[in-house]
Amino acid sequence: MSDSKFNRDQIQKMVLSGIGFVVVIYVYFTFFLGPLNRSRASMERTIADLQRKIGSSKSEIQKASNLGRQATDATSRFSAYKNLSPDGAPIAWFPPRTKAFFTSQKVDRVNTRLETTSAYTEPELTAWMRYNWVIDLPGADFVTLGSAIAELENTEPLLSLSRVTMKAQANDPQFQQVGLTANTTILKR
Amino acid sequence: MALQLNLLHEEIAQQRQRQRDPLKIGMLVLVGVTAVMIVFYMWKAYETLEVKSQLAAVQHDWAQVEPKVTSAQNRSSELNGIINTTKVLDTMVEGRFYWAPFLEKLSRSVAPNAQLNGFDGAYNADTKALTATVDGIAAGREPRAASEELRQLLTEQLSDTYGNVAVDFMLLEDLDTVVNVAGVNMATARFSLNIKLTPAKGEPSKGAASPAPARARKS
Repeated sequence: MSDSKFNRDQIQKMVLSGIGFVVVIYVYFTFFLGPLNRSRASMERTIADLQRKIGSSKSEIQKASNLGRQATDATSRFSAYKNLSPDGAPIAWFPPRTKAFFTSQKVDRVNTRLETTSAYTEPELTAWMRYNWVIDLPGADFVTLGSAIAELENTEPLLSLSRVTMKAQANDPQFQQVGLTANTTILKR
Repeated sequence: MALQLNLLHEEIAQQRQRQRDPLKIGMLVLVGVTAVMIVFYMWKAYETLEVKSQLAAVQHDWAQVEPKVTSAQNRSSELNGIINTTKVLDTMVEGRFYWAPFLEKLSRSVAPNAQLNGFDGAYNADTKALTATVDGIAAGREPRAASEELRQLLTEQLSDTYGNVAVDFMLLEDLDTVVNVAGVNMATARFSLNIKLTPAKGEPSKGAASPAPARARKS
């Protein structure tokens, strides 16, 4: 037998060794190194994601803080608007409030009734409702009424008068029979 | 030449064969490669553990920051809602028509020889236009002229503050009634005025195709 040639037994052993080597490589990459690399890559992605979130959250917190400072005026005005709508059904508190107001303005006879209610179409005002009221003042002096309307318009920012009617009383022309149609914006409670 | 006899040649051949046994060599190579791979794996595992500890630290940071972020986001959206709602409400408040100054102008325009006995005014927020009807009686030697004076004065007074002012007679007729004003008997005329205007000067009414022409109708 020559030294440079392999016999059959040796060839079998070489093939067996080769197969063993391939199996070891396969097992190593498939069951050990592969999952380890995948797990590490996944963790690195998660770290990058979290770091990006932490980075953006800092600016988010800063933005909210700045917005809070900028919105101070709006917030206080919004609170003032909200405070104009007491708890309870508007039909329960608006007519007495109107009566008290006109009485304080020396207009004694006041009758307020609700005409219609409707929701606003603006998405910003989903929490608010529009109420239409008719305020009858059967005997009001023109000058007194004028100053009362001025006071009403100044103290009730969410109230707007859409119609004013006046008719002189036949027996006492100094006094007018007055009808006011008022629209109010009231917070839903 | 001396003859050399190798009596151990079979043993030597067997020893050589054992030394170059492919299975043995393969096993040695395999063990060597496996050792290298194990070392490499351990190095990678160490790196992975480091990454894992980094992840734990970042997750801990995020767990501390997340509630603050969530509350900041909620606060931001709440503030944006408040700002937008306040903006709309402010627009509504600023867009109101103030009746008191209008009624003041109206009362200032009425001379002692005229009397208003009816007023009906409506403001349309969509078209931003006010329409009103004023009924009254004027007295004088020329009661129609007195009514016209009232109309002109009313136009002048309202034009100082409001835009697109138009004051027109809807009705002007003489009455048989004679009234005593400051000891003098005067004839009377009944009038009805139609007033149209927009709240701000120079601001056209949304519903109006063109500004109403200023007319001085002689009745």
